[in-house]
This record gives sequence, C-alpha cells and structure tokens, in this order.
Amino acid sequence: MAGPGVPNKGDRPDLLTAAIFIGLGALGLWQTSALDGGTLAMMGPGYLPRVVCGLLIAIGLVVGFNAMRREAVAIDPIKLRPVIVITLSIVVFAYAATHAGFVLASLFLIIAGSLADPGGKWRTTLLLAAGLTLFGALVFVYGLGVQVPLWPF
Amino acid sequence: MNFIDLLMLGFGEAMTLQNLSFCLLGALLGTLIGVLPGIGPTATIAVLLPITFFLPPLAGIIMLAGIYYGAQYGGSTTAILVNLPGEASAVVTTLDGYQMAQQGRAGAALAVAALGSFFAGTVATFAIAIAGPMLSQFALSFGPAEYVALMVFGLLAATILASGPVLKAIGMILVGLLLGMVGTDQATGAERLTFGAVELFDGIDFIVIAIGLFGFSEIIANLERSGSEGVTVAPITRLWPTRDDFRRSWRAVLRGTGLGTLLGLLPGGGATLASFSAYSLEKRVSRHPEQFGKGVVEGVAAPEAANNAAAQSSFIPLLTLGIPSNNMMAMMLSAFMIHGITPGPSVLTNQPEIFWGLVASMWIGNLLLVVINLPMIGLWVKLLNVPYRLLYPAILLFCCIGVYSMNNRIFDVMLAAGFGLLGYAFRKAKCEPGPLLLGFVLGPLLEANLRRTLLIEQGDPSIFVERPISLVMLIATVALLAMMIFPAFRKKREEAFQEEEA
Repeated sequence: MAGPGVPNKGDRPDLLTAAIFIGLGALGLWQTSALDGGTLAMMGPGYLPRVVCGLLIAIGLVVGFNAMRREAVAIDPIKLRPVIVITLSIVVFAYAATHAGFVLASLFLIIAGSLADPGGKWRTTLLLAAGLTLFGALVFVYGLGVQVPLWPF
Repeated sequence: MNFIDLLMLGFGEAMTLQNLSFCLLGALLGTLIGVLPGIGPTATIAVLLPITFFLPPLAGIIMLAGIYYGAQYGGSTTAILVNLPGEASAVVTTLDGYQMAQQGRAGAALAVAALGSFFAGTVATFAIAIAGPMLSQFALSFGPAEYVALMVFGLLAATILASGPVLKAIGMILVGLLLGMVGTDQATGAERLTFGAVELFDGIDFIVIAIGLFGFSEIIANLERSGSEGVTVAPITRLWPTRDDFRRSWRAVLRGTGLGTLLGLLPGGGATLASFSAYSLEKRVSRHPEQFGKGVVEGVAAPEAANNAAAQSSFIPLLTLGIPSNNMMAMMLSAFMIHGITPGPSVLTNQPEIFWGLVASMWIGNLLLVVINLPMIGLWVKLLNVPYRLLYPAILLFCCIGVYSMNNRIFDVMLAAGFGLLGYAFRKAKCEPGPLLLGFVLGPLLEANLRRTLLIEQGDPSIFVERPISLVMLIATVALLAMMIFPAFRKKREEAFQEEEA
C-alpha cells in the first residue's frame, strides 16, 4: 500500500474510509433504484435507504477531502497470511460441516486455521484439533443439539 | 407490589440453582476473558449469543451480563500484575496499579480493585432497581415521535462520547442503518438491498455481523500483531490492604462509583469512558497530583469502581427504554430479542421476573466475583502463560459453530466470513465498528417509528418540535453537534482520547 514515493499529503486510513463509505452508499443507491420512494406521509420502501445512502456518500466525500489535505499517514502494514488462511478455512468449514460432517470439518478448521500463525508444533496442533473437536461434538452437537451431521456417512 | 416485594421476587428468581449456576459460569467466563489478552467481552458475547437460544431467557441473559461485568474484574488483574490491560477499561489501572505491584504492593492493589468494584457494583445494582421503574413509567408515555427523537439523540451522542473521529463514527452508524434495512420491508413487503439472494429476505442476522466484525476480524488482527511471548508476573504479597490504603481509597471509590454510575447512563458511555474520567477527576481533586502514576492507591480504586459501576448502569437505558447505549448493550438487546422479549417499559410490567431477576443476579454475581478473584488469583495468573496460538483455534471453532447453528446454513457462515473481511478493512481504515452495531440494532426501530409518526401526521414533521420530550431530545442533539463543530470543545475531546490511545 504505502510504498516509497508516497506523496507527503493524504491520510491513507481516512481515504480508505471514504472509499468504503462512498462504495457502500453507491451500492445501496444502485440496489434501491427500482424501489418506490413514496412521499413523506406514505414512505415507500426506497425512501429511507436512499436518504441513508446519500448521507453516507456525503460523509465519505467530506472525510476524503479532509484526508487529502492532511499530512501523509500510511495504513498499518498488511500481512496477507492470516487474512487468507482464516477466511478460507472458515468458508471450507461451512461446506464441510454440511457435506462431510462436523468431525472432519472441525479437524480441518483447526489444523488449517493453525497455519495462519507459522511456527506452531505439529504435535500440539493435532492434539488441540482432536481435543477441541471432541469438546465441540459433546457440547454443541450432543449437549445443545446443533443440527449438524457428525460423520460423512 | 412494592419495592421490597419486587426485589425479593428478583432474588427468588436469581437464587434458583439453574440461574445461580449460569451467573457463576458467566462470572467465571468473564474473569477468564478479562485475564486473557486478545479476547474481549464483545467477541465472547458474540460467540455465546447463539448458544443462549438453547437456554431459558433469564438464564442466558444472566450469563451474558455476568461475562460483561466479570470482564471488568478480570481485566484489572492483568493490568496490575503484568502491566497489560486485559480490557480497554483497565488501561488506566495499569498506570498506578502496576507501579504498586513494582513496589511489592500487588496484593493491596488487587484487593482494593476488587473491593472497590464490589462496592460500585452494589451501588449500581440499587441504582438500576430504583431508576428502572421510574424511567419506565416515564417511557410509557412515549409515542413514536418521542422514540424517533430519543433514538436520533442516542445514536449521535454515542458517536460523540465514543473514541475516534466523529464524522467517521456517524458514517459507521449509517452503514449500520443500511445493513439493518436489508431484507423485506416491514411496511410494504418489498425486497430491499438483497441482491436477489433468498437467504437475505429475512434480513441479516445480528450474530452474523457481530461474529464477523468482532470475532473473525479480531482473530486476524491479533495474528498480524505477532509477539505473544511470555510475560513476567509481579509477585503477589500480602493480600489485605493496610489501614492507610483503606483510609485513602474509600473516598476515591465513592467518587468513582458516582461518576461511573452517571456516565454509564449516557449513550456511548460505558466502562472505558468511566474509568478514564474517574482517573482524571481523582487526579484533579487530589492534594498531591504529582504522585499519580507512581503507585497511589486512589489511582487504582477510583477507575476500578467507576468501570464496574458504569458497566452495570449502562443496562438502565436498555432495560427501561429499550435503547442500547453502547455495542455491549446492543449485544444484550439481541440476546433478549432471540427469546422474543423486546426490552423496554413493558417488560417491567409484563415480565417483572426478568428485570428483577437480572438485577438481583448482578449483585450476586458481584459477590461471586470477589470470591473468584481474590482467593483464586494465583490460578488466573497462571492462565496468562497460555499462548494465543492455542487460544485462537478454539475461538475460531466456537465462532463458526455459533453462526452455523442459527439456521444450519452455509450461507450464514460465508456472510460472516465476508463481514470478517469488512471488519478487517475497517480496522485498516481506523474505523470503530461499535457504532455500526448500534445503527444496525436501532435502524429497524427508527425506521418503523419514523414512518409511523409521519403517517399519523400526514407527512408533517412539525410534530417533532411540538411534543415537549421530543423537542428536548432534538435540542440536545443539535447542541451536541454544535459542540463538535465548536473548535475549543473538539480539541479538549481529542486530548481526552489521546491519553486513552497512548
């Protein structure tokens, strides 16, 4: 993000904020464009969402303009490893829990999730995965009755 | 029924074996996560919310409340012993508490913190018991116009009192409001903002957002910040404070309790704000302010009393008006909603056992916490050595099961993962996710009341200034906004929060 040659103006975190606000506001306006706005007395489904999106875009613009005039501030360094590993293991867990059962899904989640933090010992990870899976199966599936198959068959 | 009868009813409810054990469980869990750095009460409650669905309403709420105030106790333990605040609200405790520990008075600091917190908790419990029925009587006269004004005031005040730039916080509220509008429109049945996904027709579940923004993104952020090496724990000496400690701290505890109870009532107030304010108040009234930061007992007593008092009194607006004042209370609101209970004035009349049972359990919980914290302190200290590497897979698993168990849908887990990424982006953009949660919870209520008011008034918004309560709220809102534009105040606020971030 903030490599060398960054101009000395621009508060990057705030510019990112502005981008998120304006982006979400625009997305909302696009999604509600087909909805009936109605009048103040008989508000349609589209009235308030449009007001909120408009305000959001306005605030995004103000935050963005102010940020451009301020001294340069870099965004904290991003480590992609935890972001990707954690997100992917969550997504795979969701599919695995439905199609392959809780035991395999949970083992996968913990072993794969542990890869987000390099340097762990395999023995510890495997013991942790087995222990947590047993605990989860007992407490959530048997104890609380969460509707999920335990095994793939 | 008079006051005593109602309180007896509450204790009767709270003392049943089931509720007592959930109160203990909540207090234990709260202390645990308070001690462990890297897990906050918000994330914990987000993880446990889906589980409370399987419990009776009162038991679940008692447990969640116990986690919240228990975390205030636990957070101070690590602040004093290892200079590491377990919770944001314990940051100021590190200033004098750790110094005391360095001087070999860790035991006294811990005892003063625990006893001060217990005293504050007792006072705040009574404040809820007294103020609750009064406020809810008052709230029964509220029409939709008053609720709109109250919610607008609450949302804006929450952003101003919370940390971070106001404009960004207001933006986050708007994002929350927008997310709250996803799904079928209550009034017309039209689909809004669903991108055609059938799974979104019922709206986004609170738990999906809470676990995504607070659970998943917190794990990712913690893993980025590596360096979870072992810590050095100050040795604990005699536990009982000296007579001099008592003499010096009782006034500080009283002041902290009073200030904390008041600040907890305000929207956006809560434990963190209260502890910072109590510390600076104590420094100001002290005859020897230069000693603060070098290990004075008042510097531990006041903020610890204040954060516990505020943690509890912030339940008052939620229980009486149905308006959550901070993100923790937004979580509690959804814990009530899971069981089909809408907090507000009607709960007090229709289901008094819920309100009074919760109030009584808070006092019992505080008593339990003193027992959990003081004699068992050695045990909690040992937990500090558990590395985050072993903790986060467990949190990850509980988050995933929690989201999945709501509807047994893959979609919800995917959506939560998406909110995890969004939460990560918000962290990089230095946006606090708390106001988003408030906006999300209050959004549907605000919209329904606003549309109802304008429908009754045939589109004439002058009703908001004609009704006196609503007018007062709106004037207060405008005054708050004006203060933010007024540079002198803005500077002061920024200074106050700079201390906090340091």
